[in-house]
Amino acid sequence: MSPIVGSPLARIDGRAKVTGAATYTADTEVRGALHGFLALSTVAGGRITGIDVRDAERSPGVVAVFTHRNMPELVVPAGQGTAYWKRVIPLQNAEIHHSGQPVAYLVAESPEQARHAASLVKVTYEARTPRVGLAQAMDEAYVPEPGLKGPNDITRGDPAAGLAQADVRIDVSYTTPMHHHNALEPSATTAVWDDGKLTVYETAQGINATKATLAEALEVPPADVRVISRFLGGGFGAKGPVWPHTLITAAIARELGRPVKLVLSRAHTYTSHGHRPETHQRLRIGAKRDGTLTAIEHVTTSQVSRTEDLLFNTSEPTRMLYACPNLRVTQRAVQLDLPAPSMMRSPEVVASHGLETALDELSYELGMDPIELRLRNYTADNPDADGTPFGSKHLKECYRRGADAFGWNKRDPRPRSMRDGDTLIGWGMATAAHTAGGRPGAGARVVISAEGKATVQVATHDIGTGTYTVMSQVAAQSLGLDLAHVRFELGDSNYPFAFVSAASATVPGVGAAVNRACTAARRTLIDITVTDPRSPLHGIPADRVTIEDGTLYDTDRRARRDTVRAVVARHGEPVEATTEPVFIPPGYSTGACFAEVRVDPGLGQVRVTRMHGFFDAGRVFNRRTLRSQGIGGAVWAVGFTLSEHTLVDRRLGRIVNPNLSGYLVPVNADIPEVHMGFVDKPDPANPDSLGARGFGETPMTGMTAAIGNAVYHATGRRIRDLPITQDKIIEAAEDQ
Amino acid sequence: MKLFDYTRVSRASDAVGLVAGRPGGAFIGGGTELTNLMKDGVLAPDLVVDVSRLDLSDIRVSRGRLHIGATARMGDVADHPVVRERFPVVSEALLASASPQVRNRATIGGNLMQRTRCWYYRDPGSACNKREPGSGCPALEGQNRWHAIHGGSDHCIAVHPSDLAVSLTALDATVAVLGPDGRRSVPLGDFYRLPGSTPHRDNALRHGELITGVEVPQSPLAAGSRYLKLRDRASFEFAVVSVAAALTRERGQVGDVRLAFGGIAPRPWRSPEAEDALRGRRLTRTTIAAAGRALVEGARPREHNAFKVELVQRALADVLQDLGGLK
Repeated sequence: MSPIVGSPLARIDGRAKVTGAATYTADTEVRGALHGFLALSTVAGGRITGIDVRDAERSPGVVAVFTHRNMPELVVPAGQGTAYWKRVIPLQNAEIHHSGQPVAYLVAESPEQARHAASLVKVTYEARTPRVGLAQAMDEAYVPEPGLKGPNDITRGDPAAGLAQADVRIDVSYTTPMHHHNALEPSATTAVWDDGKLTVYETAQGINATKATLAEALEVPPADVRVISRFLGGGFGAKGPVWPHTLITAAIARELGRPVKLVLSRAHTYTSHGHRPETHQRLRIGAKRDGTLTAIEHVTTSQVSRTEDLLFNTSEPTRMLYACPNLRVTQRAVQLDLPAPSMMRSPEVVASHGLETALDELSYELGMDPIELRLRNYTADNPDADGTPFGSKHLKECYRRGADAFGWNKRDPRPRSMRDGDTLIGWGMATAAHTAGGRPGAGARVVISAEGKATVQVATHDIGTGTYTVMSQVAAQSLGLDLAHVRFELGDSNYPFAFVSAASATVPGVGAAVNRACTAARRTLIDITVTDPRSPLHGIPADRVTIEDGTLYDTDRRARRDTVRAVVARHGEPVEATTEPVFIPPGYSTGACFAEVRVDPGLGQVRVTRMHGFFDAGRVFNRRTLRSQGIGGAVWAVGFTLSEHTLVDRRLGRIVNPNLSGYLVPVNADIPEVHMGFVDKPDPANPDSLGARGFGETPMTGMTAAIGNAVYHATGRRIRDLPITQDKIIEAAEDQ
Repeated sequence: MKLFDYTRVSRASDAVGLVAGRPGGAFIGGGTELTNLMKDGVLAPDLVVDVSRLDLSDIRVSRGRLHIGATARMGDVADHPVVRERFPVVSEALLASASPQVRNRATIGGNLMQRTRCWYYRDPGSACNKREPGSGCPALEGQNRWHAIHGGSDHCIAVHPSDLAVSLTALDATVAVLGPDGRRSVPLGDFYRLPGSTPHRDNALRHGELITGVEVPQSPLAAGSRYLKLRDRASFEFAVVSVAAALTRERGQVGDVRLAFGGIAPRPWRSPEAEDALRGRRLTRTTIAAAGRALVEGARPREHNAFKVELVQRALADVLQDLGGLK
């Protein structure tokens, strides 16, 4: 195996990014473009009774104001390949479904003019009293029809009997607040029509789905729509589906006959493209005295909107992580006067936080080390009903090597037992797991020029994860070319199809496509060479020829050689290969997470002081970018567990902290050194991707509970309502 | 944002004249606060007068007083050796504020003129008596985790966000002001107003008056001062509660003492009651607890901020134990 794949190559687009040369969507300059800005509803439910746009229309620079009275009609997209998950489009009628819903779209010559005009729109409403708190509406919970992740109520074995057989039972409830993605780059759309054909520059994790969705909404053939997204400043699921503002911007550009550009304000992102909903979960777990699980009942209740009830918190951790014969996993919904939730990295983190916290609670009930409890219930095979094989799973190795790196065997298991002066120290652990695969993959095209250089194209995305870099590595290795002679292009829906860059599906899907196409091109190169009488390798059996760094060798006599450049030049035309999309086989990335916290018992302040993760991600394409994914997950886990929450005013139904000043993501000072280790063994289930699996969403699924469990170990207080802020530590202490 | 005129002046009196002559005029220093409020549509001045280049950035001690010019940058003041040695509470409060990037830009005058972080104030889509007198206060029954337990009214329970102001309040600083009618000095204790029924008036400044500097008396008290800030993340966040404490000790007893608190009231909250509970007494866990109880006497917590009553006492105890060598 050549060393290109697996080497810790620095991002090939890193320089462009840090110098500002990388063209993000909002950087796109289109001649003659107008600028849009949204005016949003200030009430959470009801209907518009009057809307006065006269001042806005007269404001300097304003070209047009669209409301439900004059907005072009749009089709609600729902067809094959689309990704519009709402059932309504705003500005089509007077109905208001949540605070922050668009009620007017201002178009002006400059963004500042459009923004100012938005403040001049006067709206009157017939408003109804909103309901936005999950706790106040739990009695309305229901199990929605099967959705993106299949049935929402799954039973295995006999959970009631399993609980009855148990020696030890726990019955615990946890809550998590509303969370927002807060990608650094706000969503942006620039729509350009030319002779009935539409080009949209979009902050998209799924350019192909965006293309299909736009085509249906605007009633144009998909072939007449092109979507471009060269760089993405984070998406985290918010930019996976297509949202109303994108469709509306394209429709208005058509109506006005001029390009229109919309960049959402930070506040607007809080109601424009989904969130992780508020949740409540109850876990009942039964176990034998030796730790063997006899039953798990896991009921999760999530907020949904009044108009949609898709659920995104998957129940896979509970179904797949441990060998438990009796199981019931139920996902319930409660409709509230809030925006529609969306998928959010990592979709299963709510369930896994609950499960892994509950297991920690069980470990104390049993007086058993939490790693030992997990090993007692280890499963090498997928215990889920459909039994889809995992591929490889090296989780035991992760527990062992992670524990060694962390120093877990020095832990005194008693709560409040480890101290540094007055400061309490806590160590916690949890398992991380993420299903990666079982989804449509990608196609790829490669063209090798007479200069011996390859261009590889896939309509995929670099959502900040390093796709440009790792796919260049795969292409270079599969082709036998020097990395400098490979150019990987993405972000244009005219390239071969790829699935949405979500669910950690890009590496296994696009990696497999790039490898296939490049391997085919390499084979073609060799065939051309050995059949070309002008080549020194003429007549040699093709399987005796190899390509390294742009040179073809006879493996029996390496002095006999040719160059890719010469071969293609003599051939007279570029050498091409294309691969059709292939399905990504199911995969399961797992790992062990460890966290250390220090807690000031007087002030209740929690600081995370160490984080270790050890993961099985299949083959590692690039140790540096993979490690960055791990660090990202660990950092987000700190926010999820200790500080992040979107607050909604109960009476107004309005988000009160829609900005990075009020919504507290961790800052550098919150984050200690993060250690990430990897098993790095190829998964035999996906040979096309060289054994690499999706990984990015894995670390967060374990690190949140590891931190919470460490807080318990430090303080003896189990904070079951996130985030764990200092007031809760103090209140828990007072209750004792 | 609305279109506005911008001008930069080199003399303070010119700045004052320009703003005083325009009802919609405003001063801008580092710009880390006013521009946010303008972008969010909270404030819409039609004239912005840039005072950041005025020759008011001195930091010096003379005649027993520390003079800090209004345009001195937060970071420069925090790092100044005299401030660090003789007025540690001021340096600590500044270093606990914002981020290094903001501190390199924001001015002392601008810091004192910060508006509340109350989210209802910052959201023109919500009612707010401070932003729009008479429109109502959603915080009273709404998301009030960050709001006041002391000094609020039925019209407003927003808290003042400046850490610097809390530290200066503890040290009996005065604010030097230049206005259309000349110069005046305002003790910091009189500078910030409680909301009462006029929460839209934050402070004692009249339109067109400009802060030119701050004066802090040098004293053994100032030299023995500390600042503790508790917040929901390690940096770049406003106080949930904060404490500025300064005290002298005589024969094992507390001599003089000043205590001011942030995050609990619409202005930096001086607690003479807590000070009285300590003055002339030994610093023990008992006297410290008594001071804490005196501090929260009469506190009026709301639905989501009752924890502040306990937390601010613990914060006070932490600082006093530290100053008293009880840790």
